[in-house]
Amino acid sequence: MPKFHFHIQENGRLIRDDEGQEFAGTDEVRKEAVATGASIARDAFISGSACRVIVDVREEEAPFLKVSITLDVEDSTES
Amino acid sequence: MSAETISAALVRRLRTSAGISDEDIETIRALPITVKEYAADRAVVRDGQRATECCLIAEGFCARSKTTSEGKRQILSIHIAGEIPDLMSLFLHVMDHDLSTLTPCTLGFIAHETLQQLHRRRPNVAEIFWRDTLIDAAMFREWIVNVGQRPAPARLAHVMVELRERLKAVGRVERNSFEMPLTQEQVGEALGITAVHANRVIKQLRQDGIVEFHRGRVTVLDESKFEELADFDNRYLHQSPAL
Repeated sequence: MPKFHFHIQENGRLIRDDEGQEFAGTDEVRKEAVATGASIARDAFISGSACRVIVDVREEEAPFLKVSITLDVEDSTES
Repeated sequence: MSAETISAALVRRLRTSAGISDEDIETIRALPITVKEYAADRAVVRDGQRATECCLIAEGFCARSKTTSEGKRQILSIHIAGEIPDLMSLFLHVMDHDLSTLTPCTLGFIAHETLQQLHRRRPNVAEIFWRDTLIDAAMFREWIVNVGQRPAPARLAHVMVELRERLKAVGRVERNSFEMPLTQEQVGEALGITAVHANRVIKQLRQDGIVEFHRGRVTVLDESKFEELADFDNRYLHQSPAL
């Protein structure tokens, strides 16, 4: 099984995952990416540190999948 | 390992946290304890198992955890030398969670019957052990607040500061560095986040110059930032008889 790397961007800030990790199957990789994105977005959105989180998963160097989560608040009271 | 060495960390901790008397210490040292060496990542006692003895950690680290029917594991607590993580099994006969080793451990097993006799003979010791299980519950309350309310970086910092406070009480902190032998996956299981998120939090704390976590060892880079992030108040550890 090849190694998967999860590079994470919060707004512009990139945190690279150089070590990577192995998974039992590609389904597990997808689940990990979605759960990670959701969990990071929760912290970032609530604290206000970022409004866009991207989990860029690469199989070795090749793009494998990308999860993007964006906070979109529409305030109806603002003119 | 001699009886004195096996109970050394326990005695040291009970002296500071509970003010145990020398006479009571002697009775603890005289207890028949079966010593066993465990490798890392081994079950000591499993969820659903009927326990007949309690386990005193003489050296090493253990964790208590519970696994959902979907196979998701939540680490509930980390345990260090001088602690008896399954003391409640003396009264709660069937285990409701797992106790396992995180590192190679030297464990001392004390039969329930021995502890029951000790409690009858020395009510002071019974009270001290009772207090110990209450502090255990206080730590669980703090763990719930931590996992439920703090953002992930603060959550990790809080677990680290608590562990450091407890390690200090048994003389296992070297200046700004101490052991926290968890893998990234286990950090995730403790904090209720994915291993990848745990990895990201660890990197962020290092990039921000707060704390370095590498190969199961924590090195504090900036003490005041570390404490501020952890939002830590040690009162719930009740580390002195007056608390």
